[in-house]
Amino acid sequence: MECCGPGYASPAEAMKAPREKLLYTIAIYTGTGIQKPDYLCTIDADPESPTYSQVIHRLEMPGIGDELHHMGWNACSSCHDDASMSRRYLIVPGVRSSNLHIVDTIDPRAPQLHKVVEGAEIKARTDLSAPHTVHCLGSEIIISMLGDAKGEAPGGYLHLDKDFNIVGRWERSMGDIPFGYDFWYQPRHNVMASSEWAAPNTFMPGFDLEEVGHLKYGRRIHLWDFEKREPKQTFYLGEDGLIPLEVRFHHDPDSTHGFCGAALSANIIHWWKDGAGDWQWEKIIDVENEPHPEWPIPVPGVISVILISMDDRFLYFCNWLHGDIRQYNIEDPHNPVLTGQVWMGGLLDRAPEVNGVRVTGGPQMIQLSLDGKRLYVTTSLFSTWDNQFYPEIRTNGGCMLMVNCDTETGGMEIDPGFVVDFGKEPNGPSRCHETRYPGGDCTSDIWV
Amino acid sequence: MTSRTITLANRGGATYSVDARRPLLDTLREQGVDLPYGCKYGGCITCAARLTDGQIDQRRQVALNNRQIANGYIILCVARPLTDCTLEIGVDSHGKLYRNPFADPLEPHELKADIATPKEA
Repeated sequence: MECCGPGYASPAEAMKAPREKLLYTIAIYTGTGIQKPDYLCTIDADPESPTYSQVIHRLEMPGIGDELHHMGWNACSSCHDDASMSRRYLIVPGVRSSNLHIVDTIDPRAPQLHKVVEGAEIKARTDLSAPHTVHCLGSEIIISMLGDAKGEAPGGYLHLDKDFNIVGRWERSMGDIPFGYDFWYQPRHNVMASSEWAAPNTFMPGFDLEEVGHLKYGRRIHLWDFEKREPKQTFYLGEDGLIPLEVRFHHDPDSTHGFCGAALSANIIHWWKDGAGDWQWEKIIDVENEPHPEWPIPVPGVISVILISMDDRFLYFCNWLHGDIRQYNIEDPHNPVLTGQVWMGGLLDRAPEVNGVRVTGGPQMIQLSLDGKRLYVTTSLFSTWDNQFYPEIRTNGGCMLMVNCDTETGGMEIDPGFVVDFGKEPNGPSRCHETRYPGGDCTSDIWV
Repeated sequence: MTSRTITLANRGGATYSVDARRPLLDTLREQGVDLPYGCKYGGCITCAARLTDGQIDQRRQVALNNRQIANGYIILCVARPLTDCTLEIGVDSHGKLYRNPFADPLEPHELKADIATPKEA
């Protein structure tokens, strides 16, 4: 089909796209003691370029204290057949400020601020705060908001039009959902899945383990009637699903299989629609806690992110406290097979230094190339949580590494020629978080 | 206007006269004190400072647990001075604010106010 909208006709077409040559990565000063705004880095990922593996542009936000975190495009493959749309604007929310920064990437190497949707306006008009996940929805945009205007759960979903005007609340009802976090939709099955972190007032100040027992953190996954915009089924995961974070459906729009990483339980949860049309779930991976010489209890992995390759064959996730990234073959999604593992940083001291840089923090956010061969990894989770588990990150900063992935038989290897040391940033050590590419990536696009 | 004198112990003892009815984050920043902040409603801890002398009203804060409060932490974006106060500001005052939650658990009375249980005698 000839078409000139954004993205790709299918996941298979996306995999044939040219190699990513630029990366956009969040870097933060919030919580570091450096009184500078958080910023969006452009990183040179073209191995033929003289500035390969360097930050080549920094776009500072207008003020301090946003805590930039995740981000998303104004348009993706969900409006591939709409020639009036283009993947040009990156929506970069601040979790603490609730500001939405709309960044224009018409010059891909030097993005510029287009406009700011002020947190105060969002709170006043929708009673929402703490933006997290951004997904485009055809030509419009929805953003999971983790709190109400006072930072209490469950929050809801902010709906923006294509010009970034506030439409209002997207959802018709939050039902009995106690918390929000990540979401992903699979429109051919009229389903959206959402997960649960905690109220902003709970997670923003830092992590108190005791609050898990007091039910201040999530342990459920919710399936929504996407067209009716209301929840229709809840999987109560219990102890197997403490703090379920990133939610990913298969990229194949016909598939019903989806996955979520339960951070504190360090499990991977899988769900699917069975032959009778009922949604089922199961735990498919359980990362064992590891002993630590100075801890009274073994260290949980803390699965801070998961990601699925564009061909739906491999699942990747990070154990932020252990310090490893794992690759599983999920061609049989009920029976994943561990095919690769690399170590960087972490609390278990397996790889304190990589490519000449002392890794402070652990593998955290990951982004995979469309062809599945290069995985970019950053080390910071969230400023207050970083300060609790990896206090040296204040002086060392974060770093970005690249992992080469074998897409035939599986396997991973840290690339020896790529490292971005955010400890050496011009304004002082910063911390790096989510990464996206100008042409779309393995967590940005949904096919309708 | 009722004024209070705020002394910043870790900024060479600099003093500022502030409106007692307004949050310290606003009144100090307006006088050029460079302070960190985030949510500006008392929920996120980024602007925490340590009160070493004096009394404040921070009833709107929801970020601190009782151990942090016992260690003198206050949330500047909602804290109003009831008396003259001495503060330590910025992340150099945050030494006891953050702790590894697994290695150093909280006692039941040290949790946040809404879930804490009274300390047993």
